Amino acid sequence: MILDFERPIKDFEERIAELRRLAGSSQELREEISRLEDALGAAKKRIYSNLSPYQRVQVARHPERPNFRAYRDALTDDFYELSGDRLFGDDPAVRGGFARLRHGGHNVVLIGHDKGTDVKSRVKGNFGMAHPEGYRKVKRLYELAARLGMPTVVLVDTPGAFAGREAEERGQAWAISADLMALATIPVPVISVIIGEGCSGGALAMCAADYVGMLENSYLSVIAPEACASIIFRDAGRAAEAAEALKLTARDMKTHGIVDEVLPEPLGGAHNEPEAAVEAVGKSLNRVLSGLADTDPETLREVRYERYRRIGAYASENGLAGR
Amino acid sequence: MCPHCEFHYPLSAPERVRLLTDRGSFEERDEGMFAEDSLGFDDYGEKLERARKKTGLDDAALSGTGTIGGRRVALAVLDFRFIGGSMGSVVGEKVARTVELAGAEELPLVVVSASGGARMFEGVYSLMQMAKTSVALSRYVEGSWPYVSILTDPTFGGVTASFATAADVVIAEPGARIGFTGARVIEQTTRERLPEGFQTAEFQRDHGMVDRIVHRLTLKGDLERLLGFLQ
Repeated sequence: MILDFERPIKDFEERIAELRRLAGSSQELREEISRLEDALGAAKKRIYSNLSPYQRVQVARHPERPNFRAYRDALTDDFYELSGDRLFGDDPAVRGGFARLRHGGHNVVLIGHDKGTDVKSRVKGNFGMAHPEGYRKVKRLYELAARLGMPTVVLVDTPGAFAGREAEERGQAWAISADLMALATIPVPVISVIIGEGCSGGALAMCAADYVGMLENSYLSVIAPEACASIIFRDAGRAAEAAEALKLTARDMKTHGIVDEVLPEPLGGAHNEPEAAVEAVGKSLNRVLSGLADTDPETLREVRYERYRRIGAYASENGLAGR
Repeated sequence: MCPHCEFHYPLSAPERVRLLTDRGSFEERDEGMFAEDSLGFDDYGEKLERARKKTGLDDAALSGTGTIGGRRVALAVLDFRFIGGSMGSVVGEKVARTVELAGAEELPLVVVSASGGARMFEGVYSLMQMAKTSVALSRYVEGSWPYVSILTDPTFGGVTASFATAADVVIAEPGARIGFTGARVIEQTTRERLPEGFQTAEFQRDHGMVDRIVHRLTLKGDLERLLGFLQ
């Protein structure tokens, strides 16, 4: 899939490929190719370093963007999947289990939204929109990690918790709330990386963590820009304006002190060089896990409490104001 | 309340406080906290001004301590008239402070919700209030005092998905609409016709999510009974 704003880049690339085929030993064509390659490089830089917030949302949703499966496959030596919430069923929209990370050899509980890689797996995983049984599986894994003293790595990539009849019947809100309560107290390091979409409570249930990293073109928002636009402007087509207003980019999150780090993506976005993007996340995970390894559980809980307790922006008559 | 069908009309936060607490016992805390339009979001600043004028409140939550049947409790009440009772930084902070007050003074905690969810005009700050109220509650529930959450019409979104459902006892008013995603949005996304009574308090009780449905006129007495079981 080619995004609108990527068109000029794709045009260059196609032109170059075409000329390569024809070039043979023609010096003239080779010079033309090299000229086009320079132009391509410049176009990439110009386009990708000036993405609007909504363009970033589109990059975050790109079907070829590396998702949970890519990270699981490339970054672990072994992934021992655990299924089910022990109450109702297993939700393939989120997966989790024990994992040994290739970088640094850390044994962790690895959890993530699974958006799938083809039509069949995308539908099976409900496009990363979990039902209550998904969030209850997550809670089960948080608690297991806590008991076994294993650090927990969570990869966030969801358009939101699923909005549907059955999700409501089984207590979607209750399940998310229980995850937040569990996250607040588990005595092991919790490291979240937002690798794509981080939308609403369904994302927060998996990223109120000790360290939150965000890929450069991922987003975190209280509401999808389309839904926000249809409420505010009564027009979902004005999503670009809503995305602007919501300040949902990784850089905004860093500015507002919500995330610890913006993880750079290869030029052109993670979908252009998936291996490099995944590898970079693997390296940061190793660094962060090693950094948190010796923190004692009480300090972890204390610091996590303070971190989330203070977030907010308000003014107060007695002069005590939030940030 | 409608005298014929007993429909529970929305109640303002001050009315709710009067309904639940013993006369003259309520002491407000954390007055004078004001939301900031930190993102410069559309006409949020004007919305706040209008809501303040309309309700006489600083924001969508009123909090403090009071007695119910002679027993002192920490109490926070949301007001749906103030931008749909939505949770932004002020509501999140007030709820968190009430939780901490209850913990520090070893009081039962009562929170009455009426909210459309997170206040999207505050962007990610509103989302993070779910985490804020949850961390506060996670400490409170390590103690031995109960948290009673009362869900009134309507309670949705980030409020239901955080403090409003993380309670020891969940009470709902008859007919109150309670859920995560609103019925209209569900119908739009799934193209499914939702059954009669979907997301009502009774529906939530039948699905195991709510402990009791309590009529507004007997709510204070019901809380007095509940608190009477505690040391």
